[in-house]
Amino acid sequence: MSADLRPVAAPPAGGASASVSPTLRSTWRAGRVAALLGLVIVLAAALGVLLAPGQRESRYLDPDDTSLAGSKALAELLRARGVTVDRVDSAEAAAASAGGGDRLLLITDTVYVNEFRLAAVPGDKLVVGAVPGLEALAPGVRPLPGQPRERSREPRCDLPGVAAAGSAYVGGTAFAGPSGSTGCYPAGDGHALVTYEHDGGRVTVVGSGSFMTNQRLAEDGNAALALNLIGTGKPVTWLVRPQTPPVGELPGTRGESMYDLMPAGVGWAVLMGCLSVALVAFWRGRRLGPVVAERLPVVVRAAETVEGRGRLYRARRARERAAGALRAGTIDRLTPRLGLAPGAGGHEVVAALAARTGQDPHQVGSALYGPPPGDDAGLVALARYLDFIERQVSEL
Amino acid sequence: MALTGRAGLVAALGIVVVLLAPVPGAAVAGVCLLLAAAIVVDLVFAGAVRPLRFHRSGDTLVRLGGRASVELIVENPGGRRVRGVLRDAWPPSAGAGPRLIPLDVPAGERRKVVVTLEPTRRGDRSSVAVTVRSVGPLGLAARQGTHRAPWSVRVLPPFLSRKHLPSRLTRLRELEGQHPALVRGQGTEFDSLREYVVGDDVRSIDWRATARRHDVVVRTWRPERDRRVLIVLDTGRTSAGRVGDAPVPLAGAVAQGGGLLPSSAPPSAARAVPGWPRLDWSMDAALLLAALAARAGDQVDFLAYDRSVRAWVSGASRTELLPSMVNAMAPIEAELVEADAQGMVAAVLSRARRRCLVVLLTDLNGAALDEGLMPVLPQLSSRHLVLVAGISDPRLAAMAAARGSAEEVYDAAAAEHARLERRRITARLRRHGVEVVDAPPDDIAPALADAYLALKAAGRL
Repeated sequence: MSADLRPVAAPPAGGASASVSPTLRSTWRAGRVAALLGLVIVLAAALGVLLAPGQRESRYLDPDDTSLAGSKALAELLRARGVTVDRVDSAEAAAASAGGGDRLLLITDTVYVNEFRLAAVPGDKLVVGAVPGLEALAPGVRPLPGQPRERSREPRCDLPGVAAAGSAYVGGTAFAGPSGSTGCYPAGDGHALVTYEHDGGRVTVVGSGSFMTNQRLAEDGNAALALNLIGTGKPVTWLVRPQTPPVGELPGTRGESMYDLMPAGVGWAVLMGCLSVALVAFWRGRRLGPVVAERLPVVVRAAETVEGRGRLYRARRARERAAGALRAGTIDRLTPRLGLAPGAGGHEVVAALAARTGQDPHQVGSALYGPPPGDDAGLVALARYLDFIERQVSEL
Repeated sequence: MALTGRAGLVAALGIVVVLLAPVPGAAVAGVCLLLAAAIVVDLVFAGAVRPLRFHRSGDTLVRLGGRASVELIVENPGGRRVRGVLRDAWPPSAGAGPRLIPLDVPAGERRKVVVTLEPTRRGDRSSVAVTVRSVGPLGLAARQGTHRAPWSVRVLPPFLSRKHLPSRLTRLRELEGQHPALVRGQGTEFDSLREYVVGDDVRSIDWRATARRHDVVVRTWRPERDRRVLIVLDTGRTSAGRVGDAPVPLAGAVAQGGGLLPSSAPPSAARAVPGWPRLDWSMDAALLLAALAARAGDQVDFLAYDRSVRAWVSGASRTELLPSMVNAMAPIEAELVEADAQGMVAAVLSRARRRCLVVLLTDLNGAALDEGLMPVLPQLSSRHLVLVAGISDPRLAAMAAARGSAEEVYDAAAAEHARLERRRITARLRRHGVEVVDAPPDDIAPALADAYLALKAAGRL
């Protein structure tokens, strides 16, 4: 090979090499702005969290909660009127504080309590909303299907406390009370408030507790309604959803859990295992040098367009076109072999073929110029017959 | 930095230690501290990678299908031994191996490692980077660094059809009269006078010279020399289609045993190995024609064109024609654009002032030629002799012959349609006075050479 064959981009003489790995200094230079920015963001976030007032999750109808969904305002109003308000979060505590039955039990949530144990607590009961276990707490009261919108409604009943309160923001659920009950605030087909005497106490069910929240208490006659319903002079036991759901314990044979039975080192060993997995991951994950990408030429078979056309013929069962193509190909190849001019007419071709092969001219004519085959089997037969004619011509 | 598997193993052994230790918390802290200290010591005492210097030498040219070796000399000017692995990163189609090379260079010394390249594709391949991982004395951690050590290898077309060259040269010698068949025919020009020997054609006796010399003198004839041949390679979209079976596995030919999974099932027709692009077959044919024409004493020029000039080789002497042509061809890839036939004809006309044989290597695709070449062909064929060489697809012939089921017959009809189209365009080209060579990929190079010899014998150049 001659001298002008050297590649255009010839390597520099001696093949000088240069390190392209980042040094500590270059890493610092490239990353210091980003690191500083990240530090500032973290500091700002930490500062914000530290300086912000301790906001807890709002707890619906909690007498200790000052958020919009809480009910601290109502509880304070009750206390100002000399009503004792005891906040409890379990059926056991409610039963313990019930005493002789001259208290009012305000039930806002029964998700984590046993409703039968709660129903056994003596005294008056005020149930807020269609809580689970309503049929045990207020027998005979059933929530009606459909949820009437919460809005300001007129009492339309002669229950003294309720009638005096006037319109209030109620709704949510409509109830049908048992016989002898009084219903107020008609909503839908039933009433948003139902009250009746049961088992020596008064049971009241309201559709929703919105009128008792800090947000709504000052509107309408909400405060009056709440005070008239709750502040009857009796001490109030206020049942709320517990802060953390109670967990069932898993005692072993001597009251020990699985964790108590494990050797002390196992937890640490798991930690050590995690560390070794991390080390192995780093070992396997570190790549030796860069990934080399390459622009590859397109891979397309030249026959693809023809295959596509064949599939189109197949999909549409285009027998006419397929037969036409096969016939045209055969005629094109046979014409010079039969000694005919390229533009020879059909009759000449058929006559020459019949004379050459000894086939019936009518059969040859219908194969080459006849109507297209009626089905796929006919097409295959036609193709084979055309092959046969061609072979006859080439062999003779 | 990088860790080794040994570090992970030590940490895993630490699990046992922690389980058995009386104070597991302290044991975890102890194992971690020990490991961290060992890793730091390893990193400190590992040979430095950054000051390493690399020098390259070796092949810069290789034929496709051949093997090139590039030597890499690693010089360690640092104070500590560098022990570990080295990776010379090349593009995948360079076929560089081995992937990881064990390395052990004592302080102040140099070692040579050899990288072998088995390229699977034409073109220029450059080394991207050299990465060294230098492991510390404890074998727990390693320093790692990447260097640029540029080197480029040009992968040339393989010129597989050179096996056809000797037989064609014999035919050429017969034409030239070096073979004892001194027949005066068309396409011959006066060469010299010599004495009559028995057996010479009496018609070639030069009576005037005979009268002067008192001896019977005959004229000798030889084929025309110093004609011009311009090979035009169409690098447009039609040359990207793959036909035939690749004689040298190209990149993208996955099923050629180069796949990751051992192929348990034989490759079916549907997942057939994609062959070579028409472009590569055309290059092969062009090289054989160029070699033959150069021996025949003709001046060969080469032009590659799609929408602009991709390569242009002109005025190369007989000895350096082939090297400069393969060098010009090496980086050419088919562009996925419609070739600009008008521009191509203009480029040919501006370059070829004298009448010459224009060999156009393209695809005999009816639609593409109808819109592109046919309208401008008269400009070319009026001034030059035009030969169009197209590579047919053997798959079409196989499809057209299939009669197994209705589906295959539909495919056969489609293939027949394509072949008919091809014959139609061939006939139209011939009516324009253009020579046409249409052959399957394996036969295109000898077929083109034969067509050239036939033209030469007929004196049509």
